[in-house]
Amino acid sequence: MQPHRPLIRSSVAMLAAFGIAAVAHAQSGPIKIGVLAPVTGPLATPGKDMVEGWKMFWDQAGHSAGGRKVEYVIADTTCNPDQALTQARRLVHQEKVHFMVGPLCGHEGPAVAQVSKETGVPLVMDAAGADVITKWDRTPSVVRTAVSASQIGHPWGEYMYKELGLRNVTFIGQDYTWGHEVTLGAVRTFTALGGKVAKMIWNPIGTKDYGPTIAAIPADTDGVSAVVVGPDRVRLFEAWFNFGMDKKKKIYGGYWMHQDVLPQMDDRAIGMIGNSLNYAAGLQTPENIAFTTEFAKRTKRLPSWFGESAYSAGLWTKTAIDSIKGKVEDRDAFLKAMRTVTIKGPRGPLRMDDYGNPIQNVYISKIQKIKHPVLGEVLTNVPFKTYENVSQFWTFDPKEFLARGPYKR
Amino acid sequence: MDRARLMLLVVALAGAAALPWIGGPFWTGLATQMMIFGLLALSVDLLLGHAGLFSLTHASFFAVSAYTVAILQVRYGWPTLAAAPAGILLGTALAALFGISVRTRGVYFILITIALGYVVWGIAHRWSSFTGGDNGVTNVPFPAVGPLAVTSHTQYYYVVLAAVILCGLGYRVLIRSPFGLGLRGVKASETRMQSLGYRTGLHIYVAFVLSGALASFAGVLYVYYNKFVNPVAASFPVSVEAALMAIVGGTGTIVGPFLGAGVVLGLRNWVSSFVEMHHAIMGAVFIATVLWAPQGLVGIAARVRARLKGRDG
Repeated sequence: MQPHRPLIRSSVAMLAAFGIAAVAHAQSGPIKIGVLAPVTGPLATPGKDMVEGWKMFWDQAGHSAGGRKVEYVIADTTCNPDQALTQARRLVHQEKVHFMVGPLCGHEGPAVAQVSKETGVPLVMDAAGADVITKWDRTPSVVRTAVSASQIGHPWGEYMYKELGLRNVTFIGQDYTWGHEVTLGAVRTFTALGGKVAKMIWNPIGTKDYGPTIAAIPADTDGVSAVVVGPDRVRLFEAWFNFGMDKKKKIYGGYWMHQDVLPQMDDRAIGMIGNSLNYAAGLQTPENIAFTTEFAKRTKRLPSWFGESAYSAGLWTKTAIDSIKGKVEDRDAFLKAMRTVTIKGPRGPLRMDDYGNPIQNVYISKIQKIKHPVLGEVLTNVPFKTYENVSQFWTFDPKEFLARGPYKR
Repeated sequence: MDRARLMLLVVALAGAAALPWIGGPFWTGLATQMMIFGLLALSVDLLLGHAGLFSLTHASFFAVSAYTVAILQVRYGWPTLAAAPAGILLGTALAALFGISVRTRGVYFILITIALGYVVWGIAHRWSSFTGGDNGVTNVPFPAVGPLAVTSHTQYYYVVLAAVILCGLGYRVLIRSPFGLGLRGVKASETRMQSLGYRTGLHIYVAFVLSGALASFAGVLYVYYNKFVNPVAASFPVSVEAALMAIVGGTGTIVGPFLGAGVVLGLRNWVSSFVEMHHAIMGAVFIATVLWAPQGLVGIAARVRARLKGRDG
């Protein structure tokens, strides 16, 4: 006997409806996100940019994604890995977050990744840039939405050789993991083309006096590359002019004059190359103009890359949550969505490579004074050369890159 | 031990044993951290509270032992039974070396220990091909001895609790022994002790090494809890905080350093989740301790008890 088709169909539909209703019931609560940021401590200024970028995104998105309400808890890591670890465990166990976003300080990255590994709660890694996270120490539950350190160093080395025509460069690098990876990434592409390293000068974070560094620059060098962070950015800037080096040599910022430090510099910076970075606040795309205008309205300043990065992390996670209709309880589906969706953030088009790191543009930018509709006259990074869709492996073969091991001084 | 004290101890132990059920994973984890840092503070206090020496290099022993365990387990696949003793041994050996600083006293001792501490931090930070630099060593497993393996943070909490109780008992025996009393004598008047025939230099040197061994043991517990170690473990602030914990809790006692660790870590981890100014609060607590309760929390408790007794009598 032939079964009664419509009956079967309707019962299947009914069962499906029940199923959906049950699932919908389980997911009716809000989506909870834990944000790990250094709100106090040595990197509190970038930390505040990060929190601001994140908040701004969700305010604009109406605090909802995938049809569910979105809530977030901000935990202060103080830029200390022990603290970051404890806070990550608090977010997971106490706050019961569905996933975590952060941290910012490079050395906090492995600590928080550890918590993701032991609990399975996904981690969307923001500014913390340790290369190992998306190369040698990969964790299935960790994806990165910002940048890995050497990703911005590779184009910088090529730029110096090909566009600036430099052949004998002195590299000033900050002496810690991020500084090593950015600098040595540039050294690698620069020397691969035939460039020569005149001298490497490493300075610990918080170096008070850049006089000895400047005195150590060899006379025959034809350019200086600077990778400096924190308060050292202003100190190097001042020392360079105080020693009259601006009349003798050219210095270029590989990672130097970020937006957050420009208010402490002055018009002498105009025209200098400030950064080779995945973001420049002066980028003239509709997405970035909308983003920077709103950011300036809220904070009376332009965003640094930390602010943009958190904003894009918000956009990325929302897009992923939307694509799985809010089912963040399914961690694998969420991570898969994070790895497959593509977005257009203020900094440009973004998508994930097979190793959980974004493929994105890298901008070489010059410091210019612009007339901003909200802030008036303001110094900012204006991009003038774009390396499109840069992978963390640059043009190298990933397997070969991995076999070679991390950049170490 | 009087009855009230015994009651208090029983209640405290019962509370500690029940904590994972009452507090959940976060508080269990935080309590584990408090006990580990309390142990480090206790090791600092052996010199500070009993011999009157302010050491600021104890993070070195703590970190060297943690790094040893992490590197041996992760890179060379050593079992816990071999890696943990190796960590304590190396940390203690370093203490035996750094022990030469007891030839100095007062501010010179403080300065030389700061310098030694920075040497260890510098090596951890800069010798990145061996120590992993800022990224440190990650993926340290839970400890396992033969078929007995720790598999969760709750289980590890009990391991640490047992270890801390044993250390506390051992410490009690030590400070009540002629050796411990000798240390107190040195603190009160070193020349007097010398005139009585004590070799005070050797006495303090041995105390320094023992205290380094205890700090190394805390380092082992720490690395299995954190499951990673990086140069922050060897840094100056860790040494300072350990001393602060002892001072806030009450120097020269056993419970004090643990209470201090509870206050410092509690403020940092719990208060920071709703107040941004937790550093300022921590500073205020410390100033208040120095001004009004130089004997720390334990001192306050003793004063309260004395007053209550006075009223009774």
